[in-house]
Amino acid sequence: MVTTIQPRYEFRVFGNNLKKYEDKIEELSEKEMTREMDSIYLLTPWKRKNNVKIREGVMDIKVLEQEMDGLEQWNPFLVGKFPLKADVIKSVVFPALGIESPVFERKKYTLDQFINEVVCIDPDLAVAYVWKTRHAYTVNDCITEIAEIKVNGAYIKTICVESEDPAKVLEAKKLLKMGDNIENVNYPLALKRVMGLTKLPGYWNKIDF
Amino acid sequence: MSKEKLTIGEVSKPRFEFRTFGREFDVAAYLMSRLSVPVPRKVWERNSEEIYIVSKTNDVNNTKIRDGKMDIKTFVQEVDGLEQWNPLMKGEFPIKADTLKNDVFPAFKVEGLPTLDKDEYTLEEFLGMVNNHPDLQAVNVEKERYGYMVNDTICEYAVVYINGASLVTVNSESTEIDDIKKTIGDLELDGVENINYLQAIKRVIGMSDKKLAN
Repeated sequence: MVTTIQPRYEFRVFGNNLKKYEDKIEELSEKEMTREMDSIYLLTPWKRKNNVKIREGVMDIKVLEQEMDGLEQWNPFLVGKFPLKADVIKSVVFPALGIESPVFERKKYTLDQFINEVVCIDPDLAVAYVWKTRHAYTVNDCITEIAEIKVNGAYIKTICVESEDPAKVLEAKKLLKMGDNIENVNYPLALKRVMGLTKLPGYWNKIDF
Repeated sequence: MSKEKLTIGEVSKPRFEFRTFGREFDVAAYLMSRLSVPVPRKVWERNSEEIYIVSKTNDVNNTKIRDGKMDIKTFVQEVDGLEQWNPLMKGEFPIKADTLKNDVFPAFKVEGLPTLDKDEYTLEEFLGMVNNHPDLQAVNVEKERYGYMVNDTICEYAVVYINGASLVTVNSESTEIDDIKKTIGDLELDGVENINYLQAIKRVIGMSDKKLAN
């Protein structure tokens, strides 16, 4: 049987004072689960429609399919588990990052070899080590999460609402009182802002944003 | 020789400093608040917004800009794990091209001085030069600082937002090394790494792959 993943529409915010939204989520839903995990994100200074990360030794890439009504639709695909073949890194990973592939000295790379021998020496690549504590809820039939994350050790929170049905996400946003003026910020953009790889909007560094 | 009496918020001879950064220093913050002598109201709580300029190739000069004024400190020495920094340069925007050429960019220890074809530069123009340089980065830092005085050392607990992500920091600084060492012990910070602002910022933005203290 072939399982088809239906790409989800997503609305996500980051900040240090998201309590008004957290309270609303907890009013509308029981907490269903808490998971802790770490991820490694690969970033470039340029705007790309890909989210490249490694979790538990597995690399996956999410492709931004479209933006609609302030939501982003992301389509995930699995690259594979480390050790990864150099051919795969060259033909899949670097095109997704949008930078030129280096010459590979090995046929296969373990995760450590990939990070130390490929990523860290590339001036166009940055690595974000992200630790997440993710709390799962359901609001208006949408997967909803409140997560505390550490980006290279520094703390920030994120809230996300996602569903295959964009109308449900838009309705959930209304229920959570997330106005149209609230920016939808995906993980790569938030990480790039924290790491200074892209310009900060005026509101971003405010303690009460 | 008698010790110099330190006064919070006033200039003293160069101080030694212990500072560390992490996600949580609740115990040290509690002990600091209980062990502190009363301090002037003006240092109970201070908020500031600063821009640090970090350079891939420099760990000895610390450049920050607050309220349009630039302040560069230089690392002098480390004694028993404590760091001593001295003021190197102070300037104000708009800043003279000569100052950028002779004092500021040399402090970053980078190659490739930007072309300076004007007499002076605004803060925005300077930040443009920084952001166009591959080895330099401007980092926004907001601080909520709470001041104390423990064992005659100036202490602080602060919540710091580095490009919007938060850390906490605790420190003890004084001209007297033994007073700082006693304070580190009293705050139950023995064995915790001394991490200065420059290093903490570099770790968060990925310019250094070392971890914070917790």
